Amino acid sequence: MTITRALATSAAALCGALSLQASGIASPAAAPVTSAADEAANVLAYDIFGQLIEINTTESVGNVTTAAEAAAKRFRDAGFPAADVVVAGPNDRKKNLVVRLHGTGKRKPVLLIGHLDVVEARREDWSSDPFRLVEKDGYFYGRGSSDMKDGDAIMAAALLRMKQEGYRPSRDIILALTADEEGGCCNGPKWLLENRRDLIDAEFVLNHDGNSVMSEHGVPQVFELGATEKVYADYQLSVSNRGGHSSLPRPDNAIDQLAEGLLRIGRHQFPFEMNNVTRAYFERMAAFSRGDTTADMHAVAKTPPDPQAMERLSRNAYYAAVMRTTCVATRIAGGHANNALPQRAQAVVNCRILPGHSQEEIRAELIRLLDDPQITVRYIADNGVVSDTASDRRGFPPPPLVPEVGKPLEAAVAATWPGLKVIPVMIAGASDAIHFSAAGMPTYGVSGIAIDRDDIRMHGRDERVGVASFYTGNQFFYRYLKSITAH
Amino acid sequence: MTARPWATIIAGLLLALTPPAAPAAPAAASGTIASAAGTQPDALLYAIFKQLVEINTADSVGNVTTAAEAMAQRFREAGFAAADVVVTGPDDRKKNLVVRLRGRGKHRPVLLMGHLDVVEARREDWSTDPFKLIEKDGYFYGRGTLDMKGPDAIMVATLIELKREGFQPARDVILALTADEEGGCCNGVSWLLGNHRELIDAQFALSQDDYSVMLEQGRPMFFKLDASEKVYADYQLMVTSRGGHSSEPGPDNAIYTLTRGLNRLAAYEFPFELNNVTREYFQRMAGLVGSQRAADMRAVVRSPPDPRALARLSADVVEHPVMRTTCVATRLEAGHANNALPQRAQAVVNCRILPGHSPREIQQALTSVLADAAITVRYISSGGQVLEQAPEQRGFAPPPLLPEVIAPLEQLVAEMWPNLQVIPYMSAGASDAVYTSAAGIPTYTFAGLAVDADDDREHGRDERLGVESFYRGREFFYRFLKSLTVH
Repeated sequence: MTITRALATSAAALCGALSLQASGIASPAAAPVTSAADEAANVLAYDIFGQLIEINTTESVGNVTTAAEAAAKRFRDAGFPAADVVVAGPNDRKKNLVVRLHGTGKRKPVLLIGHLDVVEARREDWSSDPFRLVEKDGYFYGRGSSDMKDGDAIMAAALLRMKQEGYRPSRDIILALTADEEGGCCNGPKWLLENRRDLIDAEFVLNHDGNSVMSEHGVPQVFELGATEKVYADYQLSVSNRGGHSSLPRPDNAIDQLAEGLLRIGRHQFPFEMNNVTRAYFERMAAFSRGDTTADMHAVAKTPPDPQAMERLSRNAYYAAVMRTTCVATRIAGGHANNALPQRAQAVVNCRILPGHSQEEIRAELIRLLDDPQITVRYIADNGVVSDTASDRRGFPPPPLVPEVGKPLEAAVAATWPGLKVIPVMIAGASDAIHFSAAGMPTYGVSGIAIDRDDIRMHGRDERVGVASFYTGNQFFYRYLKSITAH
Repeated sequence: MTARPWATIIAGLLLALTPPAAPAAPAAASGTIASAAGTQPDALLYAIFKQLVEINTADSVGNVTTAAEAMAQRFREAGFAAADVVVTGPDDRKKNLVVRLRGRGKHRPVLLMGHLDVVEARREDWSTDPFKLIEKDGYFYGRGTLDMKGPDAIMVATLIELKREGFQPARDVILALTADEEGGCCNGVSWLLGNHRELIDAQFALSQDDYSVMLEQGRPMFFKLDASEKVYADYQLMVTSRGGHSSEPGPDNAIYTLTRGLNRLAAYEFPFELNNVTREYFQRMAGLVGSQRAADMRAVVRSPPDPRALARLSADVVEHPVMRTTCVATRLEAGHANNALPQRAQAVVNCRILPGHSPREIQQALTSVLADAAITVRYISSGGQVLEQAPEQRGFAPPPLLPEVIAPLEQLVAEMWPNLQVIPYMSAGASDAVYTSAAGIPTYTFAGLAVDADDDREHGRDERLGVESFYRGREFFYRFLKSLTVH
């Protein structure tokens, strides 16, 4: 996933709130292998996982099409009709795979999404070759091992297993393995929605990008269901000045001026706002929390919310970010010589915008806050291009928590990790979910992969996933998928 | 010398200056002392100037020794005794020339100082070859024309002419042409003082490392006599924080901590302080500027100074640094990714410290003004090294304005530029005067070169010096030196 999700801190916040002695906390999960079929499914998932890791799908020198074709071949070999295995895209290196397992047609299809591309990885930075799947000390290592070739392999394995079993789901199950989630010319979901919507149209979408099972020292604490997303936006603040010699300082100094503006932003709190996801989040989290925090969570979820409870909860950075749009200065640069007055000072302000608000709206709000016409505020797009205005498209409102997703999920989670609670969360960053949500397809982040809050290596060196976690996630996803398509 | 912001100073003056009664017309050389050439082109002087400019003496690829040897040869050929022409230094590329014109021994010697090295100049940045002396449209172009091979040539030519005339000064006249004023391993003045003090010991020193006739659109405004220097010091301010994901901003942000500190610093004013040079500066400038400013200047010189006059003058960008140490943020840098909280924020603060105070003292002052233990303040040496503690050495106290220097200077200025006032000045930058002053040799910096406020190209591209200005400067120096040493 685009590395914008605050998993580490979110888990940290949870741990602060959770009683570690809480009854029913799941023990470190061993893969619940109960049959030879389960075992075979694990072998299959491992096989696909290794194959995908070893196909370099980075933007620089990799090739997503190679991975898409390799997976397509498996589906055709498994008996999927050629018409149900489509490899398509705008670019030879950036093709997507769309596979359909036909159901009885009782309900509208479900779409599973995963991206095949990975971020760059340099051999010299890693302990092992990032494009080899290496198993060591209970972990699988390799670029994409947790973002997200693990999920790709698990989803593909689930479909292949169902096909082999002759399973007829109540709705078509569509799997889309796509390009350029991490950046690049040719975002797969966007291209498919615009060009081949027929291939992927569905009632709702399950996004495997992200790890739902948040662990602490290997012990699962909570199952996070990604139910909505904040909108990501970077803004460039810039002050110009005629500069001059530093022996004659003037009151108008670009650095001091920018500094004052940044402090105004730093002091500002965006308005409190709840949506159905964050309200459910606090209501459920209240049960995990202690004393005052429990009461405060209930109090902010009420209408009208209690301002003092809001104030107390806001002291926790994670809860504060759930309740409000946040903007924070992440970079500054200014000046060109020690002995010259700065001619320019610039800052990057990173905002995470609540659903229902646009990037342009927040840009206007920053300008109002800065209250200094000499500080310009521009929008920085994902590709780094700076423009005078931002998009005025509002973040999609959170989808309703569809019962056919939520109920079976709780059952599957309970079966895999007894006692683990499912909590709907608002993701603080952007994934491909944004494209489907914008297209009116409710999208939920669900994966059975557990990740330890201290061990998030997505986009980093020596990226890894626990071996047991991988197999547990594999069994979980198969079961969950079956449960939402059985009737 | 380190480039100075004369344009700004003049611009400030202009707002206040009453125009001189009559534009100072170039005065004919009419005194008792005149050089053979007067203000006319002089073949020897031009040849020396050209030779010096065309020997590259930049630190990177140049050779100061070559220039020193070339001048030494001219002195020997002009009849100076071999023992009075010494080329010496710690490094083959960085040798200094010391020449002595023997006098009658009536007074202790005078030392004339000039540096031979120049700052870098790249051919592609310039309109002409910076290491060729080009005469064009009334200007000499070339690296070092102003800083300071023009003045070096004037001193060399003057000594040779005095020798040819058989002039016997009342005191020995020593000329030191030295290395690495602009930076580098081997500052010549410092090395000579440390290793061959006997070669250059003198009652006082005269440096030509700054032009004195301040022009505004060709009109002389005043004659600047640098008699004191502020101490230059750079400080590094640093804040570290644990960083983290930008989606959950907390109160601990390195950028905000640093910018809060910078805002406190911007609001802070160092204590008011005058010395004999700046007191004299205000007293004399009061005669040149408009009535309110003149009254304010007189009022701050009184003891105790008038607080309202002090407040008004402190708000003046040009006068403010005359009365106070200044510190200003000149560079800023923080953050490593748009979507990550900064782990480190850094700023450079450039200070110009009043004589009598040490960089260590100002480091402590900064620490207390910033008032935040999270902001560390370190000293950046001229070599770029970052040190925990700034040096304790105090800037030298301004020397007394010796009558044997000032009286002939004022007389000559009055002869050559009628109505032009000599204004003692405290320079905001550092020159080699810092070494001689520290060694107890009072040092005054002035040169009869006239430069327009908008046309100071020292250290810059297409550095130049007016042809007429050059020959007049030569005339000025010849007459000054003679009148200084005749009795």
